[in-house]
Amino acid sequence: MSFRTFILSLSASFGVAWLAIVIVPYFKMRSLEPVAVEEGDGTNAVYIPKRAGRIADGAEVYAANGCYMCHSQLIRPTYAGNDMFRPDWGGIAGDEDRGDTRRETNAFDFEGEDFAHIGISRLGSDLSNLARRIETDYAKGGNSEQWLFGHLYNPRWEAKRRDSTCPSFRFLFNVTEIKGNPSDNALPFPVEEGMEITPKPEARALVSYLLSLKKDQPVPTSFNFAPPTAAAPTAP
Amino acid sequence: MSSEVFNNLEQDSALRASIDRSLRHPVMFFLTSGAAWLAVSIILGVISSAKVHSPGFLDGFGFLTYGRTQAAHLNALIYGWGFQAAFGVIVWMLSRLSRQECRAAGMILTAGHIWNLGVSVGIIGILAGFGTGMPWMEFPSFCWPVLLLSYFAIVVWSLVQFKVRPEGHVYISQWYLMAAMIWFPWVFITANVLLHMMPGNPVMAAGINAWYKSSLIFLFFTPVALGTAFYLVPKVSGRPIHSYSLAQLGFWSLAVIMPWAGMQKLTGAPIPYFLPYLGATATILFFVPAFTAAVNILRTAMTDPEVVNNSPTLRFTMAGVVGLIVMAVAAVFLNIPGKTMEFSQFSMSVYGFEILAIYAFFSFVMFGAIYFIVPRVTRREWLSRRLIKMHFFFSIYGIVSIAVIAIFGGVQQGIGQEAFDQPWLEAALRAYPYAVFITIAWCFILFSNIFFFMHLTVMWLRLGRRSTHPTLLVSGHHGSPHGEEGDIDNCGSGTASAH
Repeated sequence: MSFRTFILSLSASFGVAWLAIVIVPYFKMRSLEPVAVEEGDGTNAVYIPKRAGRIADGAEVYAANGCYMCHSQLIRPTYAGNDMFRPDWGGIAGDEDRGDTRRETNAFDFEGEDFAHIGISRLGSDLSNLARRIETDYAKGGNSEQWLFGHLYNPRWEAKRRDSTCPSFRFLFNVTEIKGNPSDNALPFPVEEGMEITPKPEARALVSYLLSLKKDQPVPTSFNFAPPTAAAPTAP
Repeated sequence: MSSEVFNNLEQDSALRASIDRSLRHPVMFFLTSGAAWLAVSIILGVISSAKVHSPGFLDGFGFLTYGRTQAAHLNALIYGWGFQAAFGVIVWMLSRLSRQECRAAGMILTAGHIWNLGVSVGIIGILAGFGTGMPWMEFPSFCWPVLLLSYFAIVVWSLVQFKVRPEGHVYISQWYLMAAMIWFPWVFITANVLLHMMPGNPVMAAGINAWYKSSLIFLFFTPVALGTAFYLVPKVSGRPIHSYSLAQLGFWSLAVIMPWAGMQKLTGAPIPYFLPYLGATATILFFVPAFTAAVNILRTAMTDPEVVNNSPTLRFTMAGVVGLIVMAVAAVFLNIPGKTMEFSQFSMSVYGFEILAIYAFFSFVMFGAIYFIVPRVTRREWLSRRLIKMHFFFSIYGIVSIAVIAIFGGVQQGIGQEAFDQPWLEAALRAYPYAVFITIAWCFILFSNIFFFMHLTVMWLRLGRRSTHPTLLVSGHHGSPHGEEGDIDNCGSGTASAH
């Protein structure tokens, strides 16, 4: 075989796969087609994913500190895993207002990010629906933001989390002298007299990003795979 | 007649000696700095692995947080050790196979320094908190053009040598190495340009990243290691390849199947459904190129088991080929959609498979090549067979533990994750014992590589034995621990008769 034939065969065998699974899907998915909220209802309403918070710079902090090493952000459909069956992963199974809000991850869920941190391992839990979980369970009735700051500072401070292996992100916090009144976000952990623990800007961005992880909003009928009974909240 | 043959042999060894001499500095630079990066990577690996089970270990420093050390550990292993070992082997082996002296040693050496600079800046960038968060592409985004340019400056000379080589048969190792040299920049440019310069759908970007990881394993590290093994085994055992057509079948099945692999890591993600299934199928089919090559190499080597046992080169290479077989079995076992995929997708078996591919297969073959190449380019023999044995056995203990523990522990962990009626903590705690053992195993590997790095540095300083007898791993307690003395090489540097 000559060098020329070798290069041609190599380019052909690699090029076909390269086009079919990398180039074409990537460019096809670069701009997703708008999806109607309700097909055939005559309103032409288009699904606009809702997400608020410091998503872009929060995601940078999330990436730089390697959160994706232990946490995934993917609720797989039931053919690919049991994520949907956990009561608080894909949504909240017993949401007080909306019934069962669990759903799988869709292509609009990473709105505002350049790279979806699907994750590579689940040494920790899935974070797709973290913010909703904090609201309804971890910090029920309290301040979600403050709970997350505390959790990042010391993931093992609650007795029920003493076995957590999540690293402490103390380095995202300052210990500063109290001047005048204590800061709003000062953490309730013991520290020297006259000092307080406050989050750095990175910690604020990260927490804002984490609080945007509420991937249980209603989705268009075309990709709502929930069984019909679960979709409608039960009337009181 | 006989004098003509003798004359040809003389000329032949003179040519080989001159090729080796022309490449001494670049090759030794790549191998030694690669080994140094390997040590750095293993130290980072021990630190990050310890953090998985003892989160209080070296706690509270930003640059030592788990997410950063683990990323630095893998990137140092891939770009610091893996690529540099591959460069050293590629430039040397293709020069030998093209029968051409290297005329660009200075250029290669300079480019090698730039590559090292790029890797250093990248690792420091990750530890300082500028990582991109894309697995295996965590280097800050200004690093990849530096790496790409220095890559071209390193390997382009091998292609030139191939073009101007004397006419003749093209050997299977040349196909493997040149294919790897062409696939890598294609994959590297595609992934980096798409992800850093043309942001698209974030989920598909994660898919490209998964494909990139898989392509580095299957289209760079695998062909480099196979090409090397196909060179070393016939060379040391003195026997031709068992079946040359089988070798070609192995090569083309690799070229046709493996570009499709990788996206099975996004099973269930919102990307086109066929992508994960294609990825899983291709990864499972890895056993075709792997088994054809492994059987061929084993059949060639096992015609004389004693040589395999005594030669450090063959012992490491054969261990690497066994690593390839285990890796192929693991590729089948871990990637069956609907059966094992859901257990392995997000567990530590992902890491286990990567370490299996990069260390148990690729690195072992590279160690074999290093034990072969270094005495030739430095014209000194390895100092001590005890050091080589230490390196071999501790690496074997370490890597077998990591592979077995991470893959089976990963599946155990996956079973816990899938048990949705149990609290999540149950699944998280299942990883604990396996993580402890992985730390211990990395300590073994660190121990073995300290010996290796010391030995290699001494060889680079040309403090090896001046002897015509290679250092063999013969057993028995008689005589010197450093092997037979043999004739002392007093021929002066560069004379042909010394080879």
